[in-house]
Amino acid sequence: MRALAAVLGLVWSLVNLVIAYFFVTSAFVAKTAAKEGILAQLSLLVGGVLIAGFAILLARECVRMFRPADASSTA
Amino acid sequence: MRIVTWLLVLAGLALAVFGVVTALGQAGSGAQPWSEELSDNFVFVKVLPFVLGFGVAAGLLMARTYGPKVRSDGAIRRWSPGTVFGHAILTIGFILALPTGIWQYLGGILDVELPIPIYLIYRVHYIGAAIVLFAVAAFMSYLWMTGDRSLLISRGQWSRHLLGLAYELPPRIRAPYARLLRVDLSQPRPPTGQFTFYEKVVEFPSWSVLLALITITGLVKAVRYLVPVPGLVLFVASTLHVAAMVGIVVKLLDHLRYTFPRWPLVRSIATTWVNQRYAQLRHPGWLQAAAGGSAARHGGERSGSAATGVVGGSDS
Repeated sequence: MRALAAVLGLVWSLVNLVIAYFFVTSAFVAKTAAKEGILAQLSLLVGGVLIAGFAILLARECVRMFRPADASSTA
Repeated sequence: MRIVTWLLVLAGLALAVFGVVTALGQAGSGAQPWSEELSDNFVFVKVLPFVLGFGVAAGLLMARTYGPKVRSDGAIRRWSPGTVFGHAILTIGFILALPTGIWQYLGGILDVELPIPIYLIYRVHYIGAAIVLFAVAAFMSYLWMTGDRSLLISRGQWSRHLLGLAYELPPRIRAPYARLLRVDLSQPRPPTGQFTFYEKVVEFPSWSVLLALITITGLVKAVRYLVPVPGLVLFVASTLHVAAMVGIVVKLLDHLRYTFPRWPLVRSIATTWVNQRYAQLRHPGWLQAAAGGSAARHGGERSGSAATGVVGGSDS
């Protein structure tokens, strides 16, 4: 069950990295600037970076789950 | 009382089914001039009161399962079966509403369309949103009935919780965090209770804010074809709805990142139980409180705390 959760977590991380990629790249597209404005561009950039960062953190935890008995106790 | 609760739930279910069937019947009668997308919006708005009412009734039943218990092997109940049910329903709602919501937003930004009609994406989004709203109503009713505030930080306890959180953070960010919030790290680490300091300081408040934000802004967006909503209000609601969606995406990643390494906690949100050894190791304050409550009870004092019940409860 633990391994299955780790695999699903990795898949979810990858999906979110793709979403983050689209968020970040869309922030620098001229069409977004014209259609949505600077605030939307900034939001896409910040949102994309945050999603990517947390997706990487989740992926790291999922990889750790394949190792036996991790005694991590930090947040 | 139990029969009354069940009757209320059954009545709520019957009314919800009646509301859904009636709304779908009106939409499918051929008499409505709306497009598929707008028609779905009307169905969603019409069934909302029934869904919310059913949610409130379900919360009453969930509240019947509330109460601390301990099993014969020493395992302690961390979540009530009602909470586990509500969490599962909320998860299903998010599984449906989140990807469809992301697609509505990203599809517009990227200016691309899927080979399936957009109204189907909206339809799944509405179904997911209705499930989320059902769960939110159920949890509100559950918390109101049980009076459970164990995930809230009571007045005067913030400094203790911020200190506890400092010790749960990775060492490299502990010092900057302590400097920023003026947390005195010379103080001893407070024992973790039923919930970790991270759950109480970060997890629960952020989920509450995000759920409230996405629910309120979603409702404003949903009723805009039935009730006149000023343009500025709609713009702010739409912007905040997207912001809440991004926040939920981030929070979901953080939630999984946090709980996966604490596998007994993941198990507990499915089984309700945490084994005694894990509780002793990771939640010593929970057991200390339980022991304190037990001693107080044996000393002839009455105690209504949850911790007392942990020791005094049973798995009947």
